[in-house]
Amino acid sequence: MSTTTPEIRPAEWREQTASLGMWVFLATEVMFFGGIFMGYLYLRAHYSAEVAQASRHTHEWLGTINTAILLTSSFSMALAVRFSQLAKRETVQRLLWVTAALGSAFLAVKFAEYTMEWHEGLVPGLHFTIQENARVTALFFFLYFLATGVHAVHLTIGVLAVLWMSWRLRRPPFPDWRADEIDVLGLYWHFVDAIWIFLYPLFYLVSLSS
Amino acid sequence: MNSPPALRVYAVTWVALMALLAATFVLAHFRLGMLNPVVALAIALAKAVLVALFFMHLRRSSTLIVLFALVALFALAILFGLSGADYATREVHPAPWVAPGAY
Amino acid sequence: MSAIAATGRPSFLEEGFSLSSWLFTRDHKRIAILYAITITAFFFVGGAAAAMMRLNLMNPQGTLVTADTYNKLFTVHGVVMVWFFLIPSIPATLGNFLIPLMIGAREVAFPRLNILSWYIYLLGGVFVIYTLIAGGVDTGWTFYTPFSTLFSNTHVVEAVMGVFIVGFSSILTGLNFIVTVHRMRAPGMTWFRMPLFVWANYATAIIMVLATPVLAMTLVLLSLERILHVGIFDPALGGDPLLFQHLFWFYSHPAVYIMVLPAMGVVSEIITCFARKRIFGYRFMCYAILGIAGFGFLVWGHHMFVSGQSMYAGMVFSMLSFMVAVPSAIKVFNWTATLYKGSIVFTAPMLYALGFVGLFTIGGMTGLYLAAVALDVHLTDTYFVIAHFHYIMVGGSVMAYLGGIHYWWPKITGRMYNEAWGRMAAIVIFVGFNLTFFPQYILGYLGMPRRYHEYPPEFQVLNLFSSAGAAVLAVGYLLPLVYLGWSLFKGPRAGPNPWDARGLEWKTSSPPPKDNFTAVPAVDPVPYAYNPEVPPA
Repeated sequence: MSTTTPEIRPAEWREQTASLGMWVFLATEVMFFGGIFMGYLYLRAHYSAEVAQASRHTHEWLGTINTAILLTSSFSMALAVRFSQLAKRETVQRLLWVTAALGSAFLAVKFAEYTMEWHEGLVPGLHFTIQENARVTALFFFLYFLATGVHAVHLTIGVLAVLWMSWRLRRPPFPDWRADEIDVLGLYWHFVDAIWIFLYPLFYLVSLSS
Repeated sequence: MNSPPALRVYAVTWVALMALLAATFVLAHFRLGMLNPVVALAIALAKAVLVALFFMHLRRSSTLIVLFALVALFALAILFGLSGADYATREVHPAPWVAPGAY
Repeated sequence: MSAIAATGRPSFLEEGFSLSSWLFTRDHKRIAILYAITITAFFFVGGAAAAMMRLNLMNPQGTLVTADTYNKLFTVHGVVMVWFFLIPSIPATLGNFLIPLMIGAREVAFPRLNILSWYIYLLGGVFVIYTLIAGGVDTGWTFYTPFSTLFSNTHVVEAVMGVFIVGFSSILTGLNFIVTVHRMRAPGMTWFRMPLFVWANYATAIIMVLATPVLAMTLVLLSLERILHVGIFDPALGGDPLLFQHLFWFYSHPAVYIMVLPAMGVVSEIITCFARKRIFGYRFMCYAILGIAGFGFLVWGHHMFVSGQSMYAGMVFSMLSFMVAVPSAIKVFNWTATLYKGSIVFTAPMLYALGFVGLFTIGGMTGLYLAAVALDVHLTDTYFVIAHFHYIMVGGSVMAYLGGIHYWWPKITGRMYNEAWGRMAAIVIFVGFNLTFFPQYILGYLGMPRRYHEYPPEFQVLNLFSSAGAAVLAVGYLLPLVYLGWSLFKGPRAGPNPWDARGLEWKTSSPPPKDNFTAVPAVDPVPYAYNPEVPPA
């Protein structure tokens, strides 16, 4: 990689540099979520039966649908990146719209879930009315809201970035550094998807067999 | 990149992801005891690897980028592992007034 | 001298004199100076807190301030000195200024992220200043639960938010350095031709990006627990206070390597120049730097030997802590071997660098005592620990930082400082430092606890020595403000290479032009080509 310099092959150099920058950033994000995973690991290891019972309060159908939505949004985003390398501006723009729409759908479902969970009295510290297995359920949902909430914030930022990128593509030309930007945005989007890929089984699938 | 991957690569990856999602959802309903979380996480890992390799094109990326993609996982492994060494080897002495099974 | 050095172009200091040309700059050199000004201000805030503490400890009853105020003083001292001075000090000032120059680049990889990191630093600083004005925080810089979450009546959340925010400044700096070193080196600047200062800051950057986010999430968890009264650190709720400590120290131990590795990089540059010798064992020095960074992630439990963690974990962390001393020792041996049969010149930077080697060695060796669980049981939470880490952080990192400031002062400002004043300040600092902190080893051995505003009367003499030393140290730290500040206006103009040093930063004018070099610089085939004397190209 180091043989490519800004002077010798500027386009390739720029693309690889931007990509490295985003991957380093994603490493920091993995470490950031790692703190929550550590808390979860502690809870599940110490109170595995109680965690299973607590997780029954999650809405597994909504969680599963949301996982499908997000995985599909990664598909459309990856296609957008692919077509941006072929400078197909209009195709990329449409795929970015689809990605943003799917991301927004995820957020809408999440909002509906949170609303239901509020009404069910599952929000520790703010509106928590569960009596049975109260302590671990409170801890479980504390981690649930923190993890999915931080994830939702990241996804919102992603949706806004995708919308903004799509808006910038409304007119030609399609310079090749735009493809680098979309590539880097894609990496971020897939990362947000990857985090959810782990949150889904950890919070939704714990106790379905009981 | 001169020629991006064929469309088929992306489509197949998506289908595989959906299949794995269906599998994890279905398998979660079976009582497999200790294997439930193992299976769930293994499938999650498989999905993440597919996203990383094909959607994030790690397959075509330089060694340096692959290293950075993995280094955070190593660091987390250290965090979980060495802390786990503490948790796994602690002796718990509940106070006399704590009912057994209570917390 | 080649034509590259005498550029005849305006220096980076002359490209715009307005406030906005500084506040909205993307020039890594200007950003370095912005950081230098703000970290100096925070150094004196943290130093003022220390001065109050040492004044209070002059008599055993400790009645100068109340116990609660004393708790707030040592907390603000720790928070400010760790996060607002030591962590950014060398990387964000000297690192930002020098890394592109040393690798032959015009800029860092992401200049806008660079200036953003400074603004994030300032925002974190605003939270901390607010905390001070609003009444302070008394948990200690370690914010241990359950005191911080359940029982402290001070502004914990504001302080913690300040640290959370400033962590992102660290992360962005680290990200920038990593990508810059990988992607912006001049042709011919291979990894094993880079100065050790660059290696050191690169390894530091890796630690910054991997460890700091864990602290960020930990502080979020702490804040939520304090605000909502729910969380995973409270045993009554089913949580574990040690979970906080594991998460906290997973960052905070590597953080001490963030604070010392760049200092080691500075020392390697200074010692080679003023011994007129190539560094002994260049490759081992590189591997040692990486080894320190890597091993530093494995030892955090040595802060938790008496916390309630299991004996087995204690033994594992103890063994790993002994192992992490090895690469550091290799570096000390190699500096010593570099000095051997060198033509040593005792300039002010050299005095600071030599001071580092000696004081870091003492601090490091006392770390070995603390790594032994059987000894740590008696020494933990005493002044022995305080002396240990101050020998490394102050006797080590601060002295290296000052050495670096003096060494590169002509390059950054284009002026030479007064060498006699520089040497005198270095000696005053060295004497003041030892007078302050060596008695603390003895106090800790004798059993004086840390974070106490009062102590048994038999410890007074040693405490008086320590407080007297602190006064000398304060004078020593104020001196450079005077003569360095004076040199900005009246100091003789410096040429491109007043020290006849090696390295690409000395091949351009002092101060450098905005784009660092007029043409892509020619890289020396061998780093530190001091012996045999190879004149710079």
